[in-house]
Amino acid sequence: MFQFKIINKQSLGPDIKRLDIQAPEIARRVKPGHFVIVTPQEGAERIPLTVVEADLNRGLITLIFQEVGATTRQLGMLQINETVFGMLGPLGVPSVIEKLGTVVCITTGVGTAQILPICRAHKKTGNKVIGIIGAKAKKLLTLEAQMRLSCNNLFIATNDGSYMKRGLATDLFRELLNKEKIDLVHAVGSVDMMHSVVAMTRERKIKTRVSLNPVMIDGTGMCGSCRVKVNRKTVLACVDGPEFDGHQVDFEDLKVRMNAFQVLYDKDGKEIECFNQKSTPSRAESESKTLTRFLSGILKSKP
Amino acid sequence: MFASICGRLCPAPCERACVFNDEGAPIGIRALERYASDYGQAKVVRTQSSPPGANVAIIGSGPSGLTAAVVLANYGHQVTIFESLNEPGGLLRYGVPEFRLPRKVLDGEMAEIQALGIEIQTNTLVGQSVGLDDLLSSGYKAVLLALGSGTPKFLDIPGTNLGGVFYAEEFLLRVNLMQARPFPRTSTPIKIGNNVAVIGSGYAALDCARMILRFGRKATLILAGTEDEVPIRIEEREYAKEEGLKLEVMVNVLEILGNDHGFVRGLKCSRSDFADPTNAGQWQLVSVPDSEFMIEVDSVILAAGHQPNSSILKKTSKLKFNPDGTIFVAQENSMTSIPGVFACGNIVSGVGGSVVETMADGKMVAEEMNRYLNP
Repeated sequence: MFQFKIINKQSLGPDIKRLDIQAPEIARRVKPGHFVIVTPQEGAERIPLTVVEADLNRGLITLIFQEVGATTRQLGMLQINETVFGMLGPLGVPSVIEKLGTVVCITTGVGTAQILPICRAHKKTGNKVIGIIGAKAKKLLTLEAQMRLSCNNLFIATNDGSYMKRGLATDLFRELLNKEKIDLVHAVGSVDMMHSVVAMTRERKIKTRVSLNPVMIDGTGMCGSCRVKVNRKTVLACVDGPEFDGHQVDFEDLKVRMNAFQVLYDKDGKEIECFNQKSTPSRAESESKTLTRFLSGILKSKP
Repeated sequence: MFASICGRLCPAPCERACVFNDEGAPIGIRALERYASDYGQAKVVRTQSSPPGANVAIIGSGPSGLTAAVVLANYGHQVTIFESLNEPGGLLRYGVPEFRLPRKVLDGEMAEIQALGIEIQTNTLVGQSVGLDDLLSSGYKAVLLALGSGTPKFLDIPGTNLGGVFYAEEFLLRVNLMQARPFPRTSTPIKIGNNVAVIGSGYAALDCARMILRFGRKATLILAGTEDEVPIRIEEREYAKEEGLKLEVMVNVLEILGNDHGFVRGLKCSRSDFADPTNAGQWQLVSVPDSEFMIEVDSVILAAGHQPNSSILKKTSKLKFNPDGTIFVAQENSMTSIPGVFACGNIVSGVGGSVVETMADGKMVAEEMNRYLNP
């Protein structure tokens, strides 16, 4: 139905790309927290990406992603005026945006793209928004200007100290916890970061929402690939989430799930063989008699 | 209708009931149907011409939705099918592996459908991309929900979230939709071990196991009951065995064991056997005490059944649902709690409906819809 034409493309950093894609129907319905499932080419993997911005006048949606695997690289190779093969959305449950007071939005890496629409919505409702971004290095920091505009206060930490403060996003958050009265924390990013944020807010009984990003395939609740344990119940992040109450999410379980699709390395940087046995192709042992037997009703008259 | 699909997927209850069973083999009607459709170039034809009818929306392009679409188009209605994935076919495309239903056959049937004037709108998830209310207010006189039962039934044993554990739906989606099968040629591998256990007894379980064998891996099908209780045609079962499928019968899986990296190491199982615990002459399967043993595998596919995929509509519409997740429909005309919205197939019956049963249901509900549209 739609053409999903790429109108604009921008490189925001090493391997980080921004695409503006024509999708008027999605742009009309999208809310903060919604995502779309993108299939760059026919037969490619389906990847979930947060809708960062929607331009209603031109019917565009903005996607920002990091090229990490074969499929994101395929998407990154598409040029202006080319079309994306398929896009389904908006999917998921939109973020709950209420007027609460002080809201802390904490993120790492390319998660800024996911948290930006949420920051904007919180600021629009009249909350005081404090943003915290953790990046590996200055060159991997994206959307800083946009985040500054949508937060009342923005703190940035880089792991190597190449920009602003040296350290982790969670270090900044720990400092902030002692200084400010916080009403809501919204965390998006690596599982480790979200886990430690939730551990910190649990002591102080601060409401925490996390946006999870497990591997998804269809995004319509059909495959069970994005199953997570929330409140001891198996739920699907694509239809019930991706936003959940952080205090109820089983992060240990989520780590195992996320690991399942990674290539694991041991201490020496050698790839771990996750599966025990070596490949041993199996062969059919008996002859193919079945077809003849079941066609006997047609082929043979009765004995 | 869809002879080439039915000729391959039908469980053929008629062959079981055939009078020639007494004299040897039944008439192989399924194979005959397949032959006729393959070599006779079957066409879905407009059986009757009628005055232009109403606009009808069908949600879901699986077997029941497609059948209903053809029936309604034959009554002269303008049918639009909404499909959430990239290509139409629903279960036929993402659930049934290519060796049972070649994509060429399916594409041929889809082309026939489009030749009837049925419009198929892909990449549209009703409830999210378009609201159900939006459809009714934008000129569709009737809507048919043919959503199917696509969500896996989650197993309640420890270890289901380990690496290397897939639900059958995920495995089949990866193989069929994302083309994991011709892997080095495509960039979408499936990370699965060399020794795979499939837990379950339906067609999904058997399809997964046979697909694993086609990957060149070892597959073991683990059944809770005996082999003869499996609701699968003997023919398909025999094929699977010829292909090298190993069966473990009367085995209950207690736990999926993981290794240090969070991947599957094996299955903790116990055996069960027939016993007569109450001495009432009622023999049933009970687990044998102290019979725990381990099956060494490095991947597990769970195919314990499906449940209706209704969570999106539950959140976004005012439809009435039954406690088990199926849509509530009126007995007499299959209409849901919203006037003009009908439902058919596995979203109504729950689970267990085979492809032909849901097709028959789609046909029946389409007749009801026509009666509603042309009273």
